[in-house]
Amino acid sequence: MHLLEVENLTKRFGGLTAVNNVSFNVDEGEIVGIIGPNGAGKTTLFNLISGFLQPTSGTMKFKEENITGLAPHKIVNKGIARTFQVVRPFRHLPVIANVMVSMKSPRGARKIEWLKTHERKALDLLEDVGLSELMLEPAENVGHGDLKRLEMARALATEPDLLMLDEPFGGLNPLETDFLTKSILRMHLDEPSRGIVIVEHKLYALMKIVQRVIVLHQGEKIAEGKPEEIAKNKRVIEVYMGKGM
Amino acid sequence: MVTTHFRRVYSSFTSHVFDIPPRLLALLLFVILLCVPITRPTPSIQGMLIDTFFIAVLAVSWDLLVGRSGQISLGHALFFGIGAYGTAIIYKFFGLPPWVTIPLAVLIGVSLSLPIGLPCLRVKGPYLALVTMALPLILTPVLAWGPITPITGGEIGIGPLPSLIPTEFWEGLGFGFRPALQMVKLANYYLALALLFFSSIILYKIANSKTGMVLISILDDEIASKACGIDVTKYKLVTFAISALFATLAGATYAHVVTIVNAWFLSLTVSIIPVILTFLGGIGTIYGPLIGAHIYYILDRDILKRVLEPFMTSTQLSYIKPIIFSVIVIILIIKWPRGIARFVTDKLQDLEEARDIEERGKWIWKVYKKKKKA
Repeated sequence: MHLLEVENLTKRFGGLTAVNNVSFNVDEGEIVGIIGPNGAGKTTLFNLISGFLQPTSGTMKFKEENITGLAPHKIVNKGIARTFQVVRPFRHLPVIANVMVSMKSPRGARKIEWLKTHERKALDLLEDVGLSELMLEPAENVGHGDLKRLEMARALATEPDLLMLDEPFGGLNPLETDFLTKSILRMHLDEPSRGIVIVEHKLYALMKIVQRVIVLHQGEKIAEGKPEEIAKNKRVIEVYMGKGM
Repeated sequence: MVTTHFRRVYSSFTSHVFDIPPRLLALLLFVILLCVPITRPTPSIQGMLIDTFFIAVLAVSWDLLVGRSGQISLGHALFFGIGAYGTAIIYKFFGLPPWVTIPLAVLIGVSLSLPIGLPCLRVKGPYLALVTMALPLILTPVLAWGPITPITGGEIGIGPLPSLIPTEFWEGLGFGFRPALQMVKLANYYLALALLFFSSIILYKIANSKTGMVLISILDDEIASKACGIDVTKYKLVTFAISALFATLAGATYAHVVTIVNAWFLSLTVSIIPVILTFLGGIGTIYGPLIGAHIYYILDRDILKRVLEPFMTSTQLSYIKPIIFSVIVIILIIKWPRGIARFVTDKLQDLEEARDIEERGKWIWKVYKKKKKA
């Protein structure tokens, strides 16, 4: 079953076509990478799927349900969570509260119970991404690498069926990149039915974890396939390196 | 082992997010205020404190709206005025007692807050501040407009309104005329104090629940909170309505204390004073404006007056006092931009941490000595 189906998605900003007629699927339990040079429309595609932008034309289906044109919070509640390229922490809240904010609060449950069970869940999530020692620190005192992982914990707290990571390795040193790669893979093993979409520049880190790669160039999909195939694809090399190679 | 770990984490978490020292501070303040009419039974001080209580309710409700959800409103007088005019107009036409007209006015205020809030909250930051500031200023000339003056009373306003507990009630209990008047004032004092007590507790509870946490997240980053699955518009509107509820409640009750309603209730002063009080006490804390209000009014109307009175005549006083007062308030806000209440609680927390470190030091010293012996 396809988890996410994107069909002929187009977004125009005035005369500029940022995303042009892009179609692709994400299956259950699949890790898909979206790559492309700067300005290829990767982040716009992300914003379209997560509802922050409305598409000019085209449809998106999630679990065979049309989600085109829904508000961002509704899409999150359907089960699609995303992170941001530039970290967006809640600066005044402690790290653990950052995670707790994005947890669903069941109606009718007693508040104390809610706090207790959810604090435990939040702590588990923080432990998964290696932030449990910083749990009471206000997010404004936390370093950039840790905030990247906090973003991921926060997205996971919404219990998504599809997780979309926007440049998760951006601005991380090799050590942090390695740690994050491992935690993404571990997360994949923990919840094998969850689909993951990763937009990334750092091809080296990305190619190791994804099962399928989609290449965008100037808003259009130019290639799709296994990482090894993509690495040999002439058109892709042309786009990244220029002609005459 | 694990449970004790969690308990420790939980208690330190609650003390971080739901800070405890201010609760004691606020309780102390309320105990002192309960005793004031007994220890200092001067009518002028009681009157001053009654004014303070109502403005404090207004400021606390403003703090929930602005300090927590970040919706800058400079027109909180709108709801204060709607409450006052609501109760006055209902009394004028139906002659109902305050216990009926006040809830009706609050109902009107809250139901108006939704159609007002929905378009207003689409704009952000300074633009929202300007839009909200304009609303009560537009309403003022409308109320003085010729054809509707029979309803609103024009520039003179509506009055006299009945007191919360009328003199007849006290006279019925066997009080003489003058003692009955005093009892009306005393009843006003305690009712206003109760209003302040309960509304600040309710607002504090809201601000420190999960809802409060969500509101801080909206204040910090609206886009990120949308990505967390939070219905930002809904939370903003609900906060606006809650804030409006307490503002109308304060306005409607205050109308029955001063027993006259006029354009003052909608004036810019009423909009701006809560802002000053909140910044003075500490924005986003809820207990901050409560403490700020008392510092502001007691400094203005009691302490400064007493300090300056021996040096000048009353006319000089009326010119010079506002200048000195403003300078003091400006200095206080510059010195403690996070608010006086926050300054105090920060100091208390520092003390607590210092004590923790000291205890840990003692413990290490003990272990060290034991090791030395062995």
